[in-house]
Amino acid sequence: MAKLQPNDLVTLLLAISIILILSRIASEIGKKIGLPMVMGELIIGVILGPTLLGTIAPEFYRTLFPFAENSNFSLALDAIFSLSVILLLFVAGLELRFSLFLRHGRVAISTGIGSMVLPFASGFALAWFFPQWFSVTGGGPTHLLFALFLGTAMAISALPVIARILLDMKLLKTEIGAVIIASAVLNDVIGWIVFSFILSMVGQNNGHGSVVLSIVSIAAFATFMLVFGRFVINRILPWIQTKLSWPGGVLALSLGLCLLSAAFTEYIHIHAILGAFIAGLAIGDSVYLREQAREIMHQFVTNFFAPLFFVSIGLKVNFIENFDLTIVTLVLVLAFAGKVVGAGIGARLGGMSGRHALAVGFGLNARGAMEIILGSLAYEAGLINHAVFVALIVMALVTSISSAPLMRLFLEKK
Amino acid sequence: MDSSRLKGRPSFPFETIAVAVAFSPKLEAIMHEARQLADNFKAKLLLIHVGTHTAEKEASLAAICTNLKINREVRTVWAGGDTVSTLLETCKQHMVDLLILSARRRENVFRYYLGSVARGLSRRAKCSLLLLTEPKVTGTSFRKIVVDCVEHPKTIHALNTAFYFAEGVKSLDIMAIREVDQSGLAMAMSDDSTSGERTRVKEQLIIDAQEKLHELTSGRSSEKPAVQTAALSGRPGFTIRKYAEECGADLLVIHSPDGRYRLMDRIFTHDLEHILEHLPCNMLIVHARIGDAT
Repeated sequence: MAKLQPNDLVTLLLAISIILILSRIASEIGKKIGLPMVMGELIIGVILGPTLLGTIAPEFYRTLFPFAENSNFSLALDAIFSLSVILLLFVAGLELRFSLFLRHGRVAISTGIGSMVLPFASGFALAWFFPQWFSVTGGGPTHLLFALFLGTAMAISALPVIARILLDMKLLKTEIGAVIIASAVLNDVIGWIVFSFILSMVGQNNGHGSVVLSIVSIAAFATFMLVFGRFVINRILPWIQTKLSWPGGVLALSLGLCLLSAAFTEYIHIHAILGAFIAGLAIGDSVYLREQAREIMHQFVTNFFAPLFFVSIGLKVNFIENFDLTIVTLVLVLAFAGKVVGAGIGARLGGMSGRHALAVGFGLNARGAMEIILGSLAYEAGLINHAVFVALIVMALVTSISSAPLMRLFLEKK
Repeated sequence: MDSSRLKGRPSFPFETIAVAVAFSPKLEAIMHEARQLADNFKAKLLLIHVGTHTAEKEASLAAICTNLKINREVRTVWAGGDTVSTLLETCKQHMVDLLILSARRRENVFRYYLGSVARGLSRRAKCSLLLLTEPKVTGTSFRKIVVDCVEHPKTIHALNTAFYFAEGVKSLDIMAIREVDQSGLAMAMSDDSTSGERTRVKEQLIIDAQEKLHELTSGRSSEKPAVQTAALSGRPGFTIRKYAEECGADLLVIHSPDGRYRLMDRIFTHDLEHILEHLPCNMLIVHARIGDAT
C-alpha cells in the first residue's frame, strides 16, 4: 500500500491547519460586518491560492501547497476535498423535507415551479443560442450539457442561506417563510437530481443509450431510497438511538449510509454527490432523527469540511486573471431576472400579494454555498471554463448578500 | 336537500350525529357510544349503512337498538356504492354535524398506502369526525382531551368545538398544545452562531408559541374542564401524537386538513398522516366549514 512520507504528512497537516484557522478568523470577522461565512472562506482561498500568494510569493505557495510537485500531497488533499463535497451534499439533503413542500399546497407548488422553470429556461436558452457570450464553442459535444448546466445553476437556491435570512428577519415560522423554504426544497431536490444527470452524461460520452440509462438509474435509486430506504430507516433509527451509544451510534450509521450511497451512485456512473444527497433526504426526513443528532452532523460538516472545500476553490483558480466583467454581468442579470420574475409570478399565481411575491422572489434568489459547490463540480468535470466558474462564484456571493436587504425592502414597504 | 346550507354552518352544536354502521364485532359498542353522545348533546341520531340491505341486517340493527334502549327517533339510511363517497353524500344530505366511526389504531403497510375508510373520510368529510379506536359497551369517558393548536385559521374553531365537546361529556382536563417545528434551525444556525444564540432562538420560539396559546385560551372558564397549555418542539403531527400517547389522553382534537391528502403525502408523511398511521387515542377531526361551497 502506498503511504504518505513523513514530510508529505507534515505538509498536509500544515496546509489543513492553516486553512481551518485562517478561514475561521476570516469568517468571524465577516460575521461582525454581516457577510456570509462562505465569503470569508473564499477570501482565504484567494489569499492562499495562485491569485495572491502564488503571485507574490510563489516559492512559499509551492512549499505550502505543492500540488504540482508532490503527487502524494495532491492526491491526499483531493480525497479530502471530495469527501468534503460529499458530506456537504449529505447535510444539505438532511435538512430538506419534501413534506414541507406538500404541506403548503398551491402557493408552494406555483412558487416552486415558477422559481425553477423560468430561471432554467432563460439560462438554458442563453447558453444554447449565445454560447460565444460565455466563451463556449457552439455545436460541440458539451454545448448541450453546458446549456443544461447553466439552466440548472440558475434554478437552484441555497436553503441554508435562505433559512438564515428568514430566521434573522423573524420570518422562518411565518407563512411567507414557509412558502420560501418549501419552494427552495423543490428547487434543490430537482436541481441536484438534474445536475447529477448532467454529470453522469459528461462521464458517459453522450450516447443515446446512456441518456436513458442515466435517467432510469437516477429515478430507480431515488425511488428506492426515498420509499424503501426511508421505511427501513424509520424502523431502525429509534432502536439505534436508544440501544446504541449516543450520539456515536446514530452518527456512524448516518455517515456510513451516506458514504455507502455515494459509493453506489459513483459505481453506477452517477456522481457520488447524488447518493449522499438522497441519503441525507432519506435520513433527515425521519421523525425519529433527534434534532441534536442533526445539529451535531451539521456542526461537524460545516465547521470542518466546508472550510476545506471552500478554501480549496480559491486554491484552484486565479480569480483576477479569470474575472471577465461581461460574463459576470451576464450571469448576474440572468440570475436576478430569472429567479425574481419566475418566483414572483409563481407566488402571485399562488395567491400572494405583489409585494410579498417580490419578497419571495428575492428570498429565493440567494444561491450561496450550493451554487459554489455546483460550479466547482461542473468546473472539475470540465463543463465550464474558468471565467464562467468565477462568474458563478461572484453571482453566488452577490445574490446571498443582497437577498436580505431586498426582501426587507418589499416586506417593510407599506 | 340543499347542501349549500352547509356553507358557513358552525362546527357545533351537534344537532345531528350519524354513525357509520359496519356490522363488525364493534357495532354494539359504537352504537352505545353514539347513543350516549346523542343524549349528551341532545342530538338526532342517524344510522348509515353502506352495503346491501337485508332483512337479517335490519333485524340485527333493530335488536341492538332495543337492547341499548335507543327509544328516541332514530333514522336509518341504507345505501349502496363506494363507502367513503356514499357516507359523505349521506352526511351532506342530512346536515350531519358529527359522524362517528370505528377506526383501527394502527394500519398495516398495505392499508397505509391504499387508505382506509377512516382515512378517506378524514380528508374529505364536510362534517366533524369522531374516530373511536376502542368503543365500549360501557361507554368511553373522555376525561382528558388534547387539542392541537397549530398556527392555522381553523385552530380557533377546533378549540371552541373541543370546549363544547368537553362540556357535553363532562371532561376534566383540556390540554391546548402547540407544536414548534424546528425545521431549518439546525441549517440556519450551524455555521456562524454561538451556542448562546442557538439556545436563545429556540427558547424564543417556545415563548412565542406559549404566548399564542395563552391568547387562544384566555377568558375561558377555569373550573371544569381545567385548561392547561404547552408548547412542544418537534415535527407537527408526530409530536402531538406522541404527547397524546404518553399523557394518556382519551381524545385528540385536531382541525380538518385544507386539501385532500394523496399518495405522495403518505410517502412523505406529514401532519395528520402521522396521527392517522398510528392513532394514539380516540380522535375528533373538527371540520370548520370555512368557505365550503358544497
